[in-house]
Amino acid sequence: MSFEWFVLAVNYGILGYFLLLNSFYLLLYAVSFFEITNHSRREVFSGFAELFTSNYAPPVSVIVPAYNEEATISASVRSFLALQYPLFEVVVVNDGSKDGTIDVLREEFDLSESDQPIRIQLDTQPIKSVYASASERMIVIDKQNGGKADALNVGICAASYPLVCCIDADIILDEDALLRLARPMIESSKVVAVGGIVRVANGCEIEAGRVVKIATPAQSTPNFQIVEYLRAFMAGRTGWAVMNALLIISGAFGMFRRQDFIEAGGYAHDTVGEDMEVVTRIHRNLRERGEDYKVAFVPDPVSWTEVPATLKVLRRQRDRWHRGLMDTLIRHRKMLFNPRYGTVGLLAMPYFFLFEFAGPVIEILGYLALVIGFAFGFLNVQFALAFFIAAVGLGVLLSVASILLEELRLNRYPRWSDILKLTVYGVLENFGYRQLNTIWRAYAIVSFLRKNQSWGAMERQGFDPAKKRAAKKRSQGTA
Amino acid sequence: MRFVELMILAMLVLISLMVAITVSVKVLRTVREAWYKSYYRLIEPALEQYLLTNEPQPELERLRPWQRDRFVSALIVERMALLRGAGREYLMKLADDLGLVGLYLGALHSRRRWKRARAAENLGFFGGPRVVGPIAELLIDEDETVRAVAARALARIGTNEAVRSLAHTLDSPSEITRLRVAENLERIGHPAVGPLKESLTDIASLGTRKLNGPVMAAQVLGNLRAAEARGVLKHAARNAAETDVRAQATLALGKIGDPEDVPALLACSRDEAWPVRAQAANALGMIGEVSSVPRLKEMGSDDAWWVRRNACFALANMGPEGETALLELLHSDDRYARDRAAATMEARGFTRRAVRNLTKPGRRGARAQDTISILIKIGATRYLKDLAENMPEGDNSDALREMLEEPMVATRREEAPPDGATSSASSANGSSPDGDLMEGVPSEGAIEGKQ
Repeated sequence: MSFEWFVLAVNYGILGYFLLLNSFYLLLYAVSFFEITNHSRREVFSGFAELFTSNYAPPVSVIVPAYNEEATISASVRSFLALQYPLFEVVVVNDGSKDGTIDVLREEFDLSESDQPIRIQLDTQPIKSVYASASERMIVIDKQNGGKADALNVGICAASYPLVCCIDADIILDEDALLRLARPMIESSKVVAVGGIVRVANGCEIEAGRVVKIATPAQSTPNFQIVEYLRAFMAGRTGWAVMNALLIISGAFGMFRRQDFIEAGGYAHDTVGEDMEVVTRIHRNLRERGEDYKVAFVPDPVSWTEVPATLKVLRRQRDRWHRGLMDTLIRHRKMLFNPRYGTVGLLAMPYFFLFEFAGPVIEILGYLALVIGFAFGFLNVQFALAFFIAAVGLGVLLSVASILLEELRLNRYPRWSDILKLTVYGVLENFGYRQLNTIWRAYAIVSFLRKNQSWGAMERQGFDPAKKRAAKKRSQGTA
Repeated sequence: MRFVELMILAMLVLISLMVAITVSVKVLRTVREAWYKSYYRLIEPALEQYLLTNEPQPELERLRPWQRDRFVSALIVERMALLRGAGREYLMKLADDLGLVGLYLGALHSRRRWKRARAAENLGFFGGPRVVGPIAELLIDEDETVRAVAARALARIGTNEAVRSLAHTLDSPSEITRLRVAENLERIGHPAVGPLKESLTDIASLGTRKLNGPVMAAQVLGNLRAAEARGVLKHAARNAAETDVRAQATLALGKIGDPEDVPALLACSRDEAWPVRAQAANALGMIGEVSSVPRLKEMGSDDAWWVRRNACFALANMGPEGETALLELLHSDDRYARDRAAATMEARGFTRRAVRNLTKPGRRGARAQDTISILIKIGATRYLKDLAENMPEGDNSDALREMLEEPMVATRREEAPPDGATSSASSANGSSPDGDLMEGVPSEGAIEGKQ
């Protein structure tokens, strides 16, 4: 086998890989397009006002893990308490914060220690105290530090209601977010978990914990991520959910049936991708038991999060995400190509192994092989162009198509400039940003092999003036 | 070469096309909004004038069918949701005169589901009693959204025929349809009681087939507090083959709250299925009849956590007799009964009140001391310690601290230590092993008021 033959084989192999990957994306996009179209038409007849007053909507426990959230926890919890839903409670879990998070909660919500029994059905760090509010439907659990997964597990054990909604303390929800997320579960007992779209809040105007004006930010990094989120959530997750093979429900906003969640063993402590791991485990458990179930996805844009504004923080986030993904796939490798697990084993797992896990290495290899091929004169211009179409052209097409889907069916960006701006970013994303991501994810593989389990600091700038004011007021008070 | 070039060209065309469509959609949306606004500006004053005068308006009659469909029907629906009395009658007449009722009656048979759904939705507002039959046919439509919209439309019309159609659909195999129908029957209110009673009768003979209709019917009757359905509900509570039907019927009797149903509920409290017993305890607590206290006290030692929990909460609703029964449960040999009674007393403020009465003279003080002593004896001290720390300084706090500091009398803890799975908060308390907290959690339909 000559070197030339080897380089050519690698190049053609990777060209085929890109064609396969992007064809799969296009297929997912087509499925999502029909599903979102259907959803938005059904939406007209949804009767949310009726659901809001329904006696038949099962109550929901909203679980909010909090670690060193002293400055913002009060405003966050108040915005969660103001959600529209017939009956719900907020369970805040203070995960051994080193700051005054628990004091703020006690002071702001008139908390008193409670003897409410909590049966810990999952392996968690010990609980120090349980507090109940005299005026609000909420309880606060003060526990020893054990990480986000541990805090969520405690919250789910403490939840009084059959549906649990796990959210990040810094997420922003639309008022009817719970109604929209719970609806698939209200309407079918087969639905065991529901994920929702998480949108980028950078650039939006936020008041009292609600997004009041939607706009794109001025910085480039968040704009690239808006396009990425649109593509991942709308074109990706919606499609996977239609095939009942959705493996990720964002840890920032997802709902589960408490009983199924506990039976699956709750969030794993020893992974940085606990949100993907738990959904994969739920799939695995239920399919092994031969149950008829569904993991659903609601394409309504109802939750908003602040994404990293700098490349440094973004790198850490992507590194963690990729390590979490690899960990989950390796833990559940038994499902790979196993017909017992249906679409999850035969479609989702192979896709994630081949295109997500190994994707960065293959992509980098492809770029290198292309350069080497050219340098040694093994490749011609036609091949380079074909490679360009498969690797970049189809990527641009998918990004632009996601923006079209957003405009056509969801229409959340009212300004012309925002849509045009996103379209431009959809094109530019494939020239640099995507390759940067690939390098970070490839580095994450090295990091994973070194058994790195760190989360990496996630500095956020904050965008809610109310929260900023509260933080300022509190810091002045402390001073 | 040619192929690659063509591919590049195709890719560029596709990308440009996507961008062009995105921009076009934005343009079309903007233009359409402006165009629609101009129509509304023309039609709304005419409609308001019609409502004031009930006289034909040329601006409305001149409109083409598609304009009536798109603009007038939306405006009528908007107003129908707000208006009562003569205004509604005028609008229904107007819809009929403009041919909208006929138009939508035809659309009910459309092959396009969204068209059927829209037609049913609009007819629910202004179709009147004559459209009940055609809309009821959509309750078995192949599309669940259409079925849900049909149920809503029938509830809006609310005639007896509409109610009967809805009640018959309660047994639908589709969960969403049952849910929507139940919601809408509840919205209709009293007129729904008769048909719901019909769907509950003779259920004893229906065997063990899983029945959705009777469960939902019992639930709706309970939520409607339908006293006239008591007989049917009592029959169902005792004789239905399905546990969920018996449990829902039992709970419904509690919601209706007639003390005459207490004997029937006491009988239900001995049902072999724990969800029925749990709901019987709930129901007895809702009625609050003192004669049920002895049985509720017995239920405080039931094998099922939910039954114990509901029985103790029910006792807490029974006034002094219930409170006495809870105190007696604290002396029980059954550790789980003691723990549940202690937890209920804390939750309902009885423990706090006893602490406040600790230094009162006479029987009240003595009773309070007995209560606190027994709580300390069974190990339910965490709450008391918190109270001792946090309550205002005074004789009562001193007395409580003194009692807590006394050497512990040998407790009756002969059983194994609390389940290792219990949280530190509750195990420190020692009062809530609750080892069987989730044992056989009842179905969401069967149990209500879990919290």
